Amino acid sequence: MSLKSPAQKEKDRRDGNTSAWTKGYAPLPGASDELLAEGGTRPAWRRFLADLSQTRPDEINRSFAAADRRIRDMGISYRVHGELKERTWPLERLPLLIEQKEWRAIAAGVEQRARLMEAILADIYGPGDLVAGGALPASAIAGSRDFIHAMKGARPPGERWLRFYALDLGRGPDGRWWALGDRTQAPSGAGYALENRLIVSGAFPRQRSSLNVARLAPFFRDFRAGLSAAAERADPRMSLLTPGPYSDTYFEQAYLARYLGFLLVEGDDLVVRDRIAYVRTIAGLKRADVIWRRVDADWCDPLELNAASRIGVPGLMQAVRAGNVVMANMPGAGVLESLSLLGFAPALCQRLLGEDLKLPNIATWWCGQKAEREAVLDKLDQLVIAPAFGEALPGSTDGRGVLGADLTAHKRAELANAIRQRGIDYVGQEVVQLSTTPVWRDGRIEPRPFVLRVFAAATEDGWRVMPGGFCRVSDSPDARAFTMRQGVTSADVWVVGDQPVEMSTLLPADNAVRVVRQLGNLPSRAADNLFWLGRYLERAEATCLIARCLIARALELDGWSTGQQAAVELLQQQLMAWGAATFRANARPAAVANEALSSPELLGSALSIASAARRNASIIRERLSQDSVRLLRDLEEQLRAPADAALNETDAAERAQGALRLLAAMAGLMAENFNRVAGWSFFEMGRRVERSINVCRFARQFAFDGATGENLDVLLDLIDSQITYRSRYVVGPALVAVRDMALLDPQNPRSLAFQLARLDEHLAGLPALAADGMPEAPRRISLRLAAEAAAGEAERLDTAAVLDLEQRVSRLAEAISARYFLESAGARDTQPSGLA
Amino acid sequence: MIYDIRHITSYRYETPVASAAFALRLLPRVFLGQRVVRSRLSITPRPADETSSTDFFGNSVTFARIEARHSELVLEANSRVIVERDEPVAAGLTPAWEAIRDAAHGATSFCSAGPAHHLYPSRLVRLHDPATAYAARSFSPKRPMLEAACELMGRIRRDFAYDAAATAVETTVAEAFERRRGVCQDFAHVMIAGLRGLGLPASYVSGYIRTTPPKGSQRLEGADASHAWVGVWCGAEFGWVGLDPTNDMSVGDDHVVLAVGRDYADVSPTAGVFIGSGAHALQVSVDVRPASE
Repeated sequence: MSLKSPAQKEKDRRDGNTSAWTKGYAPLPGASDELLAEGGTRPAWRRFLADLSQTRPDEINRSFAAADRRIRDMGISYRVHGELKERTWPLERLPLLIEQKEWRAIAAGVEQRARLMEAILADIYGPGDLVAGGALPASAIAGSRDFIHAMKGARPPGERWLRFYALDLGRGPDGRWWALGDRTQAPSGAGYALENRLIVSGAFPRQRSSLNVARLAPFFRDFRAGLSAAAERADPRMSLLTPGPYSDTYFEQAYLARYLGFLLVEGDDLVVRDRIAYVRTIAGLKRADVIWRRVDADWCDPLELNAASRIGVPGLMQAVRAGNVVMANMPGAGVLESLSLLGFAPALCQRLLGEDLKLPNIATWWCGQKAEREAVLDKLDQLVIAPAFGEALPGSTDGRGVLGADLTAHKRAELANAIRQRGIDYVGQEVVQLSTTPVWRDGRIEPRPFVLRVFAAATEDGWRVMPGGFCRVSDSPDARAFTMRQGVTSADVWVVGDQPVEMSTLLPADNAVRVVRQLGNLPSRAADNLFWLGRYLERAEATCLIARCLIARALELDGWSTGQQAAVELLQQQLMAWGAATFRANARPAAVANEALSSPELLGSALSIASAARRNASIIRERLSQDSVRLLRDLEEQLRAPADAALNETDAAERAQGALRLLAAMAGLMAENFNRVAGWSFFEMGRRVERSINVCRFARQFAFDGATGENLDVLLDLIDSQITYRSRYVVGPALVAVRDMALLDPQNPRSLAFQLARLDEHLAGLPALAADGMPEAPRRISLRLAAEAAAGEAERLDTAAVLDLEQRVSRLAEAISARYFLESAGARDTQPSGLA
Repeated sequence: MIYDIRHITSYRYETPVASAAFALRLLPRVFLGQRVVRSRLSITPRPADETSSTDFFGNSVTFARIEARHSELVLEANSRVIVERDEPVAAGLTPAWEAIRDAAHGATSFCSAGPAHHLYPSRLVRLHDPATAYAARSFSPKRPMLEAACELMGRIRRDFAYDAAATAVETTVAEAFERRRGVCQDFAHVMIAGLRGLGLPASYVSGYIRTTPPKGSQRLEGADASHAWVGVWCGAEFGWVGLDPTNDMSVGDDHVVLAVGRDYADVSPTAGVFIGSGAHALQVSVDVRPASE
């Protein structure tokens, strides 16, 4: 008879419950597993499942559903190159669990490897002892596109080539972690890791705290501090250089910029003068002290590197060489991603650091050396053959390896020949069986192979390793490392501890903060995009208003007067002028309204404009709240007509009404939540400019000299001023009164005068280029326009005068664009040259 | 031989250009058997910022930035160069090409004159299997390196037609090879692709060649053009040997080296970026005159 304490009984009960989870879970033969080890369930998973088994199934389902919603709502999306649409981020619901003891060994190995990488880079670009001493063949380096010749001999600020490093790891069948590949160019995934953590810990808040999961924030705080300390100036301006919204990982870049408080800049936002890098802002050129680059080195400077690059900065290499900008990582650091170098790591670690590699390398033989080449050729069918420098293998289109055994005899002979001729292009690698980790599929857990990317950042006190990582999970049961493709999911990585973790976020200590009310200066590109976001939203609203007005008139079909008929035609003409409707004889007004709202083909339809607004927002998403990004997505959905919709007036009216409500919500959100620094002014000015132009145009169309009551009635609808008018005038619409309300009334937020006054206020508040106190070109126009509108008299207005005002507003928009935006972007060209 | 070289490049823009930035490789470099007595580059309009340096491959490069609005840009390079090259290498004495290949792959020199940087596909010279197969016909087993390379050069000269209209600056090796025609740049690129395809190092050399005037007539000013040829590595003992496939001749005292790189992209005389729109017209004139004339 056994005696058990109540606590022990309780534990048994829980363990019994966890076995319900693990029942039927069968790791792949020959691979190790993160959940089950020889002695049963690994401790971290035992703790996690024990905790989970105390949770009711419906509660778990609710957690998962909440996580799914969060993924969608947070706008987590990523783009596969070439796609206009963004996709949802595929995230596993269950985290990868690693115990702290094991993690310490991983972190020590990553830290060592980061030091090793730095030492190799310093030698390759510096004295070159490794090559001269025979430790590294020159051609094992020279084949990399990321050996950047222009950096040879350069001295990086703070003597660091590498500031952000990542290592891909896999656990082998023997239970050890193996280094699969170094990421030294511009490692991606750290931002996704942050996002994954937010979502997964939101789904399992209790487990996260009871398992003492290490926090990620301190790592990013230290990375930021390390970069900042490397800059010449005390309060450096830090930027993240992105290839732009079409980049695979643009979302991550925008997220990181926002999280770290960096300016998100594209090549066009930067400029180099006299070997100093600057950001183009609305206040002129401002020094760029630190650049975290996500643009591959070869594309960074069309002047010295790839002349075809449109995403680089001419002259940037000169600024980097002069040490005038801290760049993470330095151009050329990517050379260490070459597989040709992997096999040399153990010997180089001994030679440079006097240490054994703490994390073993996946065995790799570079075929540029005779003995290694012969060894690879001997066992071609047991090895993976991969390109040494990322170029495609013969007969293949991507840079991936092939398993010798998978090739036909003929193909294998061809490959062997190619290796004999140019062995320098190839490596042979042993096949690694990856370990598996549990994922949630159809209500139960299943094993899936994964690789783990671990990040390290340079700080003033050496390397710091992020306690967690970016885990990519393959959906195929094939656990051989080389088969990992892009179509994989990711998982949060929990480093599980015995001690409660200290709370920490990016918040610094109080005494380390100087109060600042304006975060740097607004980059011109961001100003440009905010301006257009404002214009698009206003245009979408105007299009919806016209459509609504058109439907309302069409519903009163009976007893149409000729005046009403004419008004309906004018409305349709306006839609055509905007490219929101096509000309068709005798088209039903409802059909035209439908087209104007929901046509995916017409560029002027409200739907197309809303899509343009959303694209604009995605370029500046680091400046917008998630709510506004979500509203824009809802707006697009609202305007999309169901494919099988019969053209029904009521449906169209409801669609227009719903869209107008969302636009109003968006306006409210921007007005109440958008910080009143310069960015808001540009959004507002875009809206005001568009509304000014539209109200002038409507006034010319419907309040022309000799307009009828029906026409004026339409104008009041379009400027949403029916109620105000009726409260002010007992008579029906009269030309002078309506003109005053539409154009001159300073109290009417829809009038031209109101827009011009706001425009002038915004321009007055923007930074000036010169300190001479003279108004700049846009302000000179807005001052005059606002004054004229304020002093204007409706009796003296005619159609010609309104047209004149409209044209001057257009000139104001051009002046704003010329003064504040990237005038030159897009007009840049590479100089061809002549040669006989 | 002493040469006075004048190389004028002018751009005329339809609409004025607001600003421009250049990397210019218009001044001859120091090279084996070649000394630069003096050289000067003048840029109009005057740059806001101008610096001269030497790039990784040892070429002289000038970075210039023009901030003034301009409709015409003139780059004028004047230099005096003394060329005294050694007697040509005896081709039959050079090592077998397979030995050259193995030596290049195992090179322990990382300097720009070493073979390692010239082994791999580069921006404008991708490896092209048909070009490799074409080159391979001259590289029978154990054949001396230079002998095989000279034969390849002669075959290119015979099999390819000189045709300035057939190709442009950005023509690829594959296109030029398929068409069997082109200019000096294409011939050099095809030959380099063939050599590298065999695992052999080959470099791209830009420069000038003195054109001998027809008997009894005055040489034409500016009739000469910039030229390009191939550097072939013949092992540590013999080093780099210049071969000119356009003329089927070894590089001698009639050639002046301007710059050396992996392909045209490394030595482009006027790489640059300008801000502006609209078309432009380009005019290049080169004058290579023996100083004694």
